[in-house]
Amino acid sequence: MRDDAKNTETKTSEHRSHETLKFFFTPVEPPKPDQENPHAKATTRVPEVVAALREAFGKAILEQVVYAGEHLVYVEKERIVDVCRFLKEEQGFTYLVDLGGVDRFTEEDRFEVFYNLVNIDDRKRLRVKVRVDEADLHVPSVTGLYRAANWNERECYDMLGLIFDGHPDLRRMYMPEDFQYFPQRKEFPLLGIPGSLPLPPQTPEGGLTLDPFAAAHGSKPVKSYEEPDSDVEEAF
Amino acid sequence: MSTITDYPTAQGEDVFSFWPRHNAAIQRRLESKHAWLEERHHAAEMRDRAEDALEHEMTLNIGPQHPATHGVLRCVVKLDGELIEKCVIDVGYLHRGIEKLAESKTYQEFMPYTDRMDYLAPYANNVAWCLAVEKLAGIEVPERAQWIRMMMSELARISSHMLWLGVGLMDAGAVSVFLWAFQGREDLYNIFDEVAGARFTVSHARIGGLATDLTPRAFELIHDFVDRYPDIIQGWRTLLNRNRIWVGRNEGVGVVSAEEAIALGLTGPNLRGSGIPYDIRRFEPYLKYDEVDFIIPLRTEGDCLARYHIRMEEMLESIRIIKQCLDRLPDGPIRADDAKHAYPSKDAVYYSMEGLIHDFMYTDTGVTPPKGATAYHAIESPKGELGYYLESDGTGNPWRVRINAPSFTNLQGLEHMMEGHPVADIVVLIGSIDPVMGEADK
Amino acid sequence: MDLKEGYLTTTVDAVVNWARSNSLMPMPMGLACCAIEMMAFAGPKYDVARFGSEAMRFSPRQADLMIVAGWCSYKMAHAIRRVWDQMADPKWCIAMGACASTGGMHRCYGVVQGIDNFLPVDVYISGCPPRPEAVIHALMDIQEKIRNDYSIVQDYERGEVRGPVAPAAPEVLTADGGKLISPDVLYHQNDA
Repeated sequence: MRDDAKNTETKTSEHRSHETLKFFFTPVEPPKPDQENPHAKATTRVPEVVAALREAFGKAILEQVVYAGEHLVYVEKERIVDVCRFLKEEQGFTYLVDLGGVDRFTEEDRFEVFYNLVNIDDRKRLRVKVRVDEADLHVPSVTGLYRAANWNERECYDMLGLIFDGHPDLRRMYMPEDFQYFPQRKEFPLLGIPGSLPLPPQTPEGGLTLDPFAAAHGSKPVKSYEEPDSDVEEAF
Repeated sequence: MSTITDYPTAQGEDVFSFWPRHNAAIQRRLESKHAWLEERHHAAEMRDRAEDALEHEMTLNIGPQHPATHGVLRCVVKLDGELIEKCVIDVGYLHRGIEKLAESKTYQEFMPYTDRMDYLAPYANNVAWCLAVEKLAGIEVPERAQWIRMMMSELARISSHMLWLGVGLMDAGAVSVFLWAFQGREDLYNIFDEVAGARFTVSHARIGGLATDLTPRAFELIHDFVDRYPDIIQGWRTLLNRNRIWVGRNEGVGVVSAEEAIALGLTGPNLRGSGIPYDIRRFEPYLKYDEVDFIIPLRTEGDCLARYHIRMEEMLESIRIIKQCLDRLPDGPIRADDAKHAYPSKDAVYYSMEGLIHDFMYTDTGVTPPKGATAYHAIESPKGELGYYLESDGTGNPWRVRINAPSFTNLQGLEHMMEGHPVADIVVLIGSIDPVMGEADK
Repeated sequence: MDLKEGYLTTTVDAVVNWARSNSLMPMPMGLACCAIEMMAFAGPKYDVARFGSEAMRFSPRQADLMIVAGWCSYKMAHAIRRVWDQMADPKWCIAMGACASTGGMHRCYGVVQGIDNFLPVDVYISGCPPRPEAVIHALMDIQEKIRNDYSIVQDYERGEVRGPVAPAAPEVLTADGGKLISPDVLYHQNDA
């Protein structure tokens, strides 16, 4: 018997009978009530913080979602810096863990930016989200409050094209500046766009290789003693 | 052969010179950063009328190909003699776009990609991914699987710290520790090989549990490891703790105060070296960390020596945790029993029709969390807080995977830390921050 | 003077090639996880020093074998090519791992789908990551290639168009002893 034989059980009980199995093409699970999620943690249960936020900001707090014991608050884009300042100074969320962008690929409010904040002393976690429309990609930057947001906002700009106002150094993070697209947008193809990132030349003095599959199309570079002679004169 | 020479260059030259716009942007940033330094120099020059004949000021490019930068990290530093006045760190030389790749894979198919992110402790990444997906989909994991996952995560932590020690010391000049640390890693590789079949990029954890159970030989190897290695690690500490050269190189280098550490967003041993007791294992216990006994090493000096001590102590604490896991490991299944949540066992797949269908459906579609669900789950990986933020759209492929890589945030702190130190300290600083570029560049 | 292959040149060749193959100085272009396996390959258990490759030189001027270990991103490719160009002849290249050989599991916009798109690779190693034994095997393949490949006649006549020496492979003939085995022959061997 194999070691994971402990995992088999006789499948004769009624609810395991194959007549009752249903397979949809994309089986859709209904959401479980929060108390049943075995991984929900106590640190993410922060209704009092959300209540304080609603009290302080009223209409700027758009929505609140609770899933798997985590509280997620949607905030108006223009007020995000004030909200973050309130959370940092008055609620003690001094530690910015993560900041990122999401491309929802919808007509309205195409992008979202989420902020994961942590209160180390009181053991609390909160997620704040901001919706950004494709027509107006500017988002106020929180680098003034959280220096940790610096590189995360640069990555968001690099990958999705969101522009953070007030960021001291908004350059691309991963892709070179010569790259002209925003890779994580849903319409960017996974394999990239041929020619957008040139490969090095096949010989030291040649031109760039713009075909990403140059070897497959037959142009494999040759050893250096087989390269054509250089036009550059030796400067001896 | 398709080669074109007229790729747009910043200076309009014909020959492409290594990403011209990118390098121009880095230079601009370097110039504009701390512009008050230039003004001060200029004022001093006007006062002294002394020219910088020896060209003490220069811009030096370190990397991306460099023996001591822990992978492909590029630092562009502006030097005044040996002192770094300002620096700009350029990452992205190992960027793959796995967040985008994840959107076309099912949750289980993404497992090998997590291995290759923090490739020094792959088991920890696997466990982190599994936990995040299980939180998103509400999957319950049996007890035995949780204990084994915890044990293997701690072995991965020891493995990562051993490599940190070996490479950090090799970069600082002591090559023998590299060989000892790699012998230690080889012993760990034997364990991983026996447990999972692969030496270090294991993809052993499955959503809902583990792939296979541990064999008796695996238990023998783990017992042997935890019996022998506390003394060996203590031996290394005895050698290094009072070694004048090592202490001299590390003491007072890269001091980060507690407020700065939080403001910069450092995680892991870097944060604990500055006195902040933030460890996800105690902050937000996952797996069975609230049931085992271990201490979180904490130091307040905030320099490289503090981080070194913390990592050495963490290795010993990990061995303690593994011993407790071995003693308390319960019997039971190693994977959740629900066909929509986890793979059926191999026996069920081979010998029953439902098992076969479930296996096929699980591979084809996989776990389908509810539409619009979002979850974030973090673990304490050896580098810091490794978290996955997942958004689901109801299908088997995630809509958005955001990887909160600890090395990424630590490198941000590195840019701040390097300024004001001599060039020779770069090596020690990078070693003590312990970045893994595969994770930082995603 | 016209150097031809004769007894003296082939003996000198043998000595030179023996020396070259047994003192390969790898330049580890260690990018990602394969770099860890390469470190293990240099470590105490799978010691590469016994093959003469004790000196892992990170400077291209001092190395003759470049082991590209790990996936190569487009941004990094230019740096790798520049390092390759700075290496002096004779030089060889090993593509270690699936990612360096073909892009591996990373079929996406950031990863070069095989370094042979811009580097002349001599030996490919498959595996993710390849075991150190596989890397040792690749090193031994390179040693074999060196022993069969270079000749001082070739060095002397540098620049002339000389095709690469074919590897010493046995000639497999068809059953009737006539033609060399090849896909064409096999597909048409039962034709009239």
